[in-house]
Amino acid sequence: MKKLLFFITAICQISLIAQTTVSGKVIDKKGEPIIGVNVYLDGTYDGTSTNEKGAFSFSTSEKGIQTLKISFVSYETYTKTADVKTFSKLLIKLREDVNTLDAVVLNAGTLEAGDNAKVTALKPLDIVTTAGAMGDFIGALQTLPGTSNVSEDGRLFVRGGEAGETQIFVDGIRVFTPYSPTPNNIPTRGRLSPFLFKGITFSTGGYSAEYGQALSSVLLLNSVDEPTEEKTDLSFMTLGLGLGNTEIWKNKSLSVNASYINLAPYNAAFPDNNVWQKSPEVFGGEMVYRQKMKNDGLLKLYGAFSYSDLDVTQEDINLVNGFRFGLKNRNLYFNTSYKGFLKNNWTFLMGLSFTNDHSDIKLQTDAVTNEENSAHFKVRLKRNINNRVKLNIGAEYFMTNVKENFKDVNSNNYKNGFDNNILGVFTEADILFSKNSAAKIGVRAEYSELLKESTISPRVSLAYKAGKNGQFSLAYGQFYQNPKNDYFKLNTNFKAENTSHTIANYQYVKNKQILRIEAYYKKYNDLVKYDTEFSEPTSIYTNDGFGYSKGLDVFWRDNNTFKNTDYWVSYSFLDSERDYKNYPNSATPSFVAKHNVSVVVKHFVTDWKSQIGMSYNYASGRNFTNPNLAGFLNDKVKSFNTVNANWAYLISQQKILYFSISNVLGTKNINGYQYANQPNNLGVFDRRAITPPADRFFFIGFFWTISDNKNDNQLNNL
Amino acid sequence: MKKIIFILLVILSGNMMAQSPYEKEMSKAMQLWSQQKNTEAVQLFERIASAEKDNWLPSYYAATVLIVEGFSIKDEVKLTTHLKRAQDLLDTANYISKSNPEIIITQAMLNTVYVAFDGQKYGMKYAGENAQLYAAALKIAPNNPRVVLGKAQWDIGAAAFFGQSTEPFCKEIKRAIELFKKEKQKEKFAPFGGVERAQQALKEQCVK
Repeated sequence: MKKLLFFITAICQISLIAQTTVSGKVIDKKGEPIIGVNVYLDGTYDGTSTNEKGAFSFSTSEKGIQTLKISFVSYETYTKTADVKTFSKLLIKLREDVNTLDAVVLNAGTLEAGDNAKVTALKPLDIVTTAGAMGDFIGALQTLPGTSNVSEDGRLFVRGGEAGETQIFVDGIRVFTPYSPTPNNIPTRGRLSPFLFKGITFSTGGYSAEYGQALSSVLLLNSVDEPTEEKTDLSFMTLGLGLGNTEIWKNKSLSVNASYINLAPYNAAFPDNNVWQKSPEVFGGEMVYRQKMKNDGLLKLYGAFSYSDLDVTQEDINLVNGFRFGLKNRNLYFNTSYKGFLKNNWTFLMGLSFTNDHSDIKLQTDAVTNEENSAHFKVRLKRNINNRVKLNIGAEYFMTNVKENFKDVNSNNYKNGFDNNILGVFTEADILFSKNSAAKIGVRAEYSELLKESTISPRVSLAYKAGKNGQFSLAYGQFYQNPKNDYFKLNTNFKAENTSHTIANYQYVKNKQILRIEAYYKKYNDLVKYDTEFSEPTSIYTNDGFGYSKGLDVFWRDNNTFKNTDYWVSYSFLDSERDYKNYPNSATPSFVAKHNVSVVVKHFVTDWKSQIGMSYNYASGRNFTNPNLAGFLNDKVKSFNTVNANWAYLISQQKILYFSISNVLGTKNINGYQYANQPNNLGVFDRRAITPPADRFFFIGFFWTISDNKNDNQLNNL
Repeated sequence: MKKIIFILLVILSGNMMAQSPYEKEMSKAMQLWSQQKNTEAVQLFERIASAEKDNWLPSYYAATVLIVEGFSIKDEVKLTTHLKRAQDLLDTANYISKSNPEIIITQAMLNTVYVAFDGQKYGMKYAGENAQLYAAALKIAPNNPRVVLGKAQWDIGAAAFFGQSTEPFCKEIKRAIELFKKEKQKEKFAPFGGVERAQQALKEQCVK
């Protein structure tokens, strides 16, 4: 009996003896202890947390080879696989996880919008609720620093660059004709619907080597991967109608939008300073198809079609009866991309886009037919070599074919056209040295078949995080772009135009407040020059043009100080001159305003279920050439001021009523002057002010979303 | 002597029978959570998850603790980091147990933390997603009281804001209370209970 007792006790003893003690200390790179770290043997219940000295100790009955895991928020998880007996008196230094949200971001030159961005300058809803933007995402971006107000044009003018110097990409694939065509002095709108995108990156300079053929800026739009809800959207607007539908299946979804815009009723109710023979009529349709593949790959197909038709007579000082302009435009755009995963942490993207744009233009008695076919193929591979180094390489091919026919009043036809094909390759590495410093180094090479010319563009971007909320960034890059199609139609003996960007940025982010200050210097080289009043086939062309832009952009956004109020202020100072086109000397172009200010305020009134928005835009006077004075671009128009207001009233979860008025105060803005070709009897050139078509613009819309969520629908009927 | 041995054996075997390590550690983690020791609770749930690779509950609870805690975080970077961690844990749970209504409504709750933090930024994205999640959960488990309550509470907020009748949702809350009373826990540590939350919601949002 005693033996049995001994035996039992012995068993207990043995099981006690068989315990191994795992112990050690966890420190950070400075040698400071880390408190509360989770330490455990993977796959067992044995573990503990470190104490205030960073020390841990626990016993385990596990034997042999075990895996020790040490994990803590914002540090890389440490794993060690060895005999459990060796896990004693360990000293473990945890490496910071450099990919956390509070880590440094490479963002010189970049403004982000969307809900996934680390620092968001614009939120998804802003695009449609910014007063004065009229639901156009390009309009909303014009309230950001670095953009110039060129209200008669409507496109993006970035840091002293022309509109054509900004390129737009959807899911990394180029959009060749992003804007709807309009007559002179009537601002255009972006063709793409803002609701299709989950994130927008607007880079005003110093961007990645992945993007080329843009001298000033790139706008990157990422379309929604997976819609969350099946729904039907109806919109009734003073300008037209819209219909949208989203269907979701297991791994697939399809969204379709159609819209019809007709300005005839509006122009009849509120006549403007144009005489419309045919008010703009636009029919547009879009569809997005997304499919998730077995291996988590994602296929996206985007297609858009639009047709617009208008005919107008615009005031002209040299033509008593005005200038007749007619336009029929048909635009088709496809964009397909496939994102997939390969072995060894490689991800790849393959994409292609195709554009067919056809315009029939009537200019007084002349007729122009223009047909553009463009395509973009791209392959991109990305690899996370480790937590700290990311590689991005790729190749792409752009094809553009333009054909134009000009028919004069005597039915003489003048044909021209060209093929502009460009091959581009790029490679780039993102290196995170620590949580506080990072670099992006890349290079891009391009070969233009038309110009028979190769270019090499190095790009570098650095960022250093100073303190918890502040960050400094620097960027430098070379950028090349082929001269615009308008010149290629007439001559092809060119070099690519070139800019270099140097950018210094400081950003401070704290609790829904962002302060961003960016200074830049941009140098233009090899700009196209010609020696005649208009660019003609007989003009002599050179690449001897040059110029510069330098300035300071300031952005402040605050969603914290005032309750239910969100506001932002942008200020851009721009000093820019160039000697290009037919300029006799270096001068500040007419699209450059020295000072640009935008103030946008949104206030939510809970009791009224309403969001009220206001925006104010100011631009200092822009240059024009006054032939009554000596010199070129020698005079300035008065400054531009406009106050816009909007009111969104939520009738229910699914119904919104929206009012918007641009230029509430009816300020008489002047965009420039047109002068008579000949002086009058007094020897003075008469002029006509180029003004917006109407001082105010009204918009009323009713938007109704019908979702499949049955309860919500019943709710409306109760 | 025999007695001693007998007692010893009883103690030893009793110890072994009463609680598996899983039950012991889960109870401990639950206790830590109830004592507001959230960090320790999450870490223990994570350790249990590492040992119980086929059990969705430890990851689910680790995520739940983080999500509930998320409502009181005011700093955006901190909150996003926090919720990303919760999302990873919830993804693990979801991977183990697919189409689980408890996990689906917890995902909706995670989204709600974002919306509560910044409606302007996250509202558009998650309003639709949450409606979809609650509808999906209700389809799978029409009589799960937590699903019924979660959905009613989500809908009632919107209805109250738009000045619509909250009556149908109050009815649903009352139904949830009845369901809570009848509910039996399927397995130990499975999500269970919450009648207090339903009664409180009824008091605050329905009885005026």
